[in-house]
Order: sequence, then C-alpha cells, then structure tokens
Amino acid sequence: MADTTSGAAKKRLTFADVVPGASTAKAGKLAGNSYVPEIATVVEIIQETPTIKTFRMRFDDPAVMESFSFAPGQVGQLGVFGVGESTFAITSKPSEKEFIQFSVMRAGEVTQALHKLSVGDKVGIRAPMGCGFPMDAWKGKKILFVMGGIGSAALKATIEYCLEHRADYQGVNILYGATHPTNFTYQYDIDEWQKREDIDLTLTIDRECDGWQCDVGMVPAVLERMNPDPANTIAILCGPPIMIKFALISFMKLGFTPEQTYTTLEKRMKCGIGICGRCNVGPKYVCVDGPVFSMAELNELPDEL
Amino acid sequence: MASKYLKSEQLPAFLESLAKNARVVAPFKRDGVTQYEPWQSGKDVELDVLLAKQSPKEYVFLQTETYLKFGYEMAPVPEGAEGEDAVPYETVKVDPQNEAPKQVIFGLRPCDVRGFVQMDQVFGGYGGFYFDPLYNARREATTLLAVTCREPRSTCFCTSVGGCPSSREGADVLFTQIEGGFFVEPITDKGEAIAEAAGAALTDPTDTQATEANEAKLASATKVDPAFDLEGVRDALHDNIADKRWADLAMRCVSCGTCTYVCPSCYCFSINDSIVETKGDRYRCWDNCFNPVYTEETSGHNPRAKKMNRFRNRFSHKFWYYPDKYDSLLCSGCGRCIANCPTRIDIREVIRVMGAPKEAPAASGAVAASAAAAAAVAAAADTTTEGKEA
Repeated sequence: MADTTSGAAKKRLTFADVVPGASTAKAGKLAGNSYVPEIATVVEIIQETPTIKTFRMRFDDPAVMESFSFAPGQVGQLGVFGVGESTFAITSKPSEKEFIQFSVMRAGEVTQALHKLSVGDKVGIRAPMGCGFPMDAWKGKKILFVMGGIGSAALKATIEYCLEHRADYQGVNILYGATHPTNFTYQYDIDEWQKREDIDLTLTIDRECDGWQCDVGMVPAVLERMNPDPANTIAILCGPPIMIKFALISFMKLGFTPEQTYTTLEKRMKCGIGICGRCNVGPKYVCVDGPVFSMAELNELPDEL
Repeated sequence: MASKYLKSEQLPAFLESLAKNARVVAPFKRDGVTQYEPWQSGKDVELDVLLAKQSPKEYVFLQTETYLKFGYEMAPVPEGAEGEDAVPYETVKVDPQNEAPKQVIFGLRPCDVRGFVQMDQVFGGYGGFYFDPLYNARREATTLLAVTCREPRSTCFCTSVGGCPSSREGADVLFTQIEGGFFVEPITDKGEAIAEAAGAALTDPTDTQATEANEAKLASATKVDPAFDLEGVRDALHDNIADKRWADLAMRCVSCGTCTYVCPSCYCFSINDSIVETKGDRYRCWDNCFNPVYTEETSGHNPRAKKMNRFRNRFSHKFWYYPDKYDSLLCSGCGRCIANCPTRIDIREVIRVMGAPKEAPAASGAVAASAAAAAAVAAAADTTTEGKEA
C-alpha cells in the first residue's frame, strides 16, 4: 500500500515503447490491435449432440494459420460479424496446424448465430487468450479428468495433449458424465479412447436408459465409487456449476488437496485481454489470469464464481 | 520553461491560439449544467463551478467508440474459373478504426487529470498487460491544461487519496488563478510547446504573483477535509470481504450506476455489434458494473446477482483489486459519486467502515487538516521534475 499513498505517477507506456509485433502481454497475444479479429472460414461442422456443434475453421491469412499455436486450456473469442463475440475453449489438438476448432452449445444470441453457419461462412477469431494448464510441471503425474456435459469442450485440448504426450504422464483417467447417451460430445473420440489400453475411461449418465452399458449416476457419486488415489495425481474438473460444487466436495472427501485440484472458469467476457473489467473475480481477471485456476487460488477469491 | 502569467482578458486569445492546431475542450455552463464541450470563439469558459458534471474522460475514453467497420460482400469470381470455383460466395471485409485528432483540454481539475493517470495504467500495458491502441492514440494526442481548485467542495477528498487541489501529477500545464489572471506552470514537453506557441499572450510573472500562487495552493489544500486514513485500507477490505456490513451499506443503493458514469477513473466497457443490411460497426461503450446483467451469463447464472456483491465489487476494485494489479488507486477523490448519488451513498463512509481494520473502531479524522494539506502541497511540488520525462 506504500506506493498508493505516495501518488507518484508511474511512467506511462507510449506507442514508441511498444515494439510493433512484440509481445506486451502476459497471455502471449501479439501487440498491435488486439481488438481486431482474424477472419476465418468454416471448413467443417460436426453435430455433436442435439444442441452442440463443433466448428472447424481455417484462418484466411495463411501466415496466421501457420503461426497459430496455443496451450491446452487456452480460450478464444469467436464471433459472427453483426451479432458479436463470445469466449469459447479451443478444442482442437494443440498440434493441429490445419484448422482451429471450437465446440459451441446453442444457448444465446452469438451461439444461435454460430449454429446457423454453413461451411464456407466467415467468422472472426481472436485467439489464443488466457493461460493454459501447467502441463510441463505435471510431467510424471497421473491426470484425472472429471467433466460433465459441455464441460468436455474445455478439457478436450488438454486430453488430446496428454494422449499425444502419453509417455510424459503416469496415467490418464477420464470420468465423463452426461444427462443422456445422446448428450456425449466427441463420440468418435470416445470410441477410440475405449479401445486404448492406456486410458482409463468411465462414462456415466444421470438416469437408467435402454441399451446403456456404462455407469449410471451423477458425476460426484460415480467419482466417489471410483475412489481414485490422490497420490501423485492432478484432478481437472469442468462442468456445470452444480456438478463442480458437489464434485469438489467429493474430491475433498477423497483426500485431494486444493493445490492438486484444478478447474477452468467461464465468465461473461468482452475484451478478453484484461482491460474491460467484466470477468473479474476479486483481483483476478478470468481472461488473462485464468481461465485455469487451482482450487487453492480460487479459495483466496471472493465467492463470486 | 519558467512559469508564466496569463491575464484573464487574454484567456480567449490564448484558447484561440490553441484552437489553430487542435480541438480545444473546456468546461462551459449551459442551462445551469457545466460540461466539457468543444470550445468556440465567443464562448466563456466556466471556471467558477469547481467540477463539471462529468470529468472530461469522454474525450479520451469515448462513451461509444466504433473500432471496427465491417461489411459482407460477394467475392469476385476469378476470370476463367469453372465448376465449383465459379460459384460466387460471400466474404467479409473489416476496416479497423482508430482516429485520434489532436486536442487540448483546458480547465480540468487535478483530480480529473489523475483519473487519466489511473486509466493510463489499465490501458497502457502497465505490469505486462495489453497496450490498448484505441485509448493510447487519443491519450497521446491530448494535452491536459489543469487549473488549481480555489474552493474545494465539501465532497472533495483528494488529499485523502494522495492528491491535492494543485497537484501537477499528469498535467501538462498547471494554471493557478491569482489576482487578475493565472499563474501558469508548464510541466511537460507538451506543456512547454503550448506555452511557447501562445507567445505574447503569456508574460513573465512577478515575484509577488509567484508568492500569491503558492498561497492560493496552500489555502485550497487546507479546505479539503481529511476523509479517511488510506494506510491499511487494502488489507482491511480483503479481511472484511465477508463482513455483513457490506449488505447494510448497499441497502439503499438503487444500482443506477450514476457513480460509474461520473467517475473520472471508472473504465469498464462493453463491446457490441450493430448491423444494417450488409454493413456494420463493432463498438465499445461505457458499461456499468452495478447493472445486474453486467455479469449475467447465457445460462442464467450470475456471479454477482446480488446488489451487495456488485456494490462490494466497485469499492473493492478501486481500493484493492486495482491496487493489486497496478500499484496505485482507482479513485482521485473528486467526490462526484457522492454529489450525484440519488441515495447519498458516500464512498468516504464506505471506506471508513469497510476499510478499517477488522477489530478496530472506524477510523477517525486523526490527521490534522492543516498538516495533511501542507504535506500534500509539498508532495505535489516534488513531482515538478518527474513530469518532465513524459
């Protein structure tokens, strides 16, 4: 607080101080005008569930497409010109060089406009944004993914990353819950994951359903039945707020510490670059300080998730 | 450059000379309301009203700013194309906007200037964050000519947040009203350029005038009542986060957001699109964190659905969240939020109550008014050389 009482002016950066093209950002987007989206073309649309579509897009500028890279857990702003932008998790493989992918649940204005797109239509993308998961620091650990519904989108890239670098991690364990068998996203990947012996996959649906072979029950209850060993494990959690709330209680029961339990937050965002002030939780901005947080970090923040 | 003297009668000529190279913005009174407006020959600048209804922040951080124009159009079919390539398709063209005309703002008060200094941290890439090209283009094209406050209001508390009615912080030139005119102190290179361009309108001041200006500064500082002790406020807000007195303080708030619009340092904004047929704008506009939809998500989930949460967020942002990120405060003590609140919510009271250490009683005005004022003037004088590097 000493600094705040002095009233001394901090030196203001000017255009002269900002080297064009150099990164001034913590989160790694280039300087220049971060508000201006890159134009991209929809190249493929996958209907995942009755309300979720996956969009694959290619940047119109080949140089942008080529240089595009992101860390698992990072997000982007995807927008339809004339309707607006919204924040979505990037769901392509981090190694994917041909396209960038987002999975979108039809809910509000922007997502409805996105759902009306056809292959060949133009969108605007500002990505990547935020900080990803500390994948390097987790080498040698078991990674336990717990996700519900559209929460799978936020963890998709991270799962893909773990599978591509499978030797770096001691184990990959996925618990995925949905309300109904038709509500699982990435069914084509699930089929692959089920065949692999180096992934421990558990699927669950909320209520009994004809022809369903896997678990039945809410994610937190199934998690407790699974009884994972917290030793040398990182748990990553994403799903609807009610699932997160109860899954966290289960994790604490199972002996997981807040330091080894991670989640990724979503907030209503506008600028995505830590300026507009909308996505704050206390002194943290979800767009630049997150969206990835450990529970230990979240416990320090006001109860405004 | 040495200090100068400007005769009151010379003020219109001085502004006229500025208007040759830039848009001049100054406070004017119309229908009883003082607002910053573009100056025109023949308009009388209003300096007797201490604070305009709003600070001039809207001239740098626009209420509504279109930063992108876009249009859908049909892509031309390449000559000689056949089959699939010959099918016309729709494409989109974007055109980023960032116009920043040169402007001079005259007559703003040191607290208004400090509002810019505080926003500079947010938009200026301070601490490794993003450098905002829209704000900074305007900010760099703007020269700030501040005027020392003569008669601080009962709602003023700049000295409690490290400011002073004659602070030079962030100003390019400081004007102080004395007998028959202004004592003029160019502070930055931009300010010196203005003084040089003014030529004969500015004369050398006498020693008496310099003394008179100093006395005027000291006198005005003594008229600002200490509001609270800033020491420990940040930690107290942190410790009091779950305190139920937040709900008591927020009870009479009507979530109108007037405080955010009149605040010289509130900067939160929204981004929206508008489109007519094929052509549209993407613009940003001032937003208001008291509006319940500010944080409402598509699912209906709202992290700050309760008024108390929104209320707590605004004050904590100014005295805790912002300081954590930018090592400064997001309040310059102008008191506009106090004067304009329809339910008389007083930021000083909020900080006295919630910014006091948990166990201790609410802070009293322990610091003697005159001592605080003298210290503030001394601190302001210290910044004389610092401003040069700007």
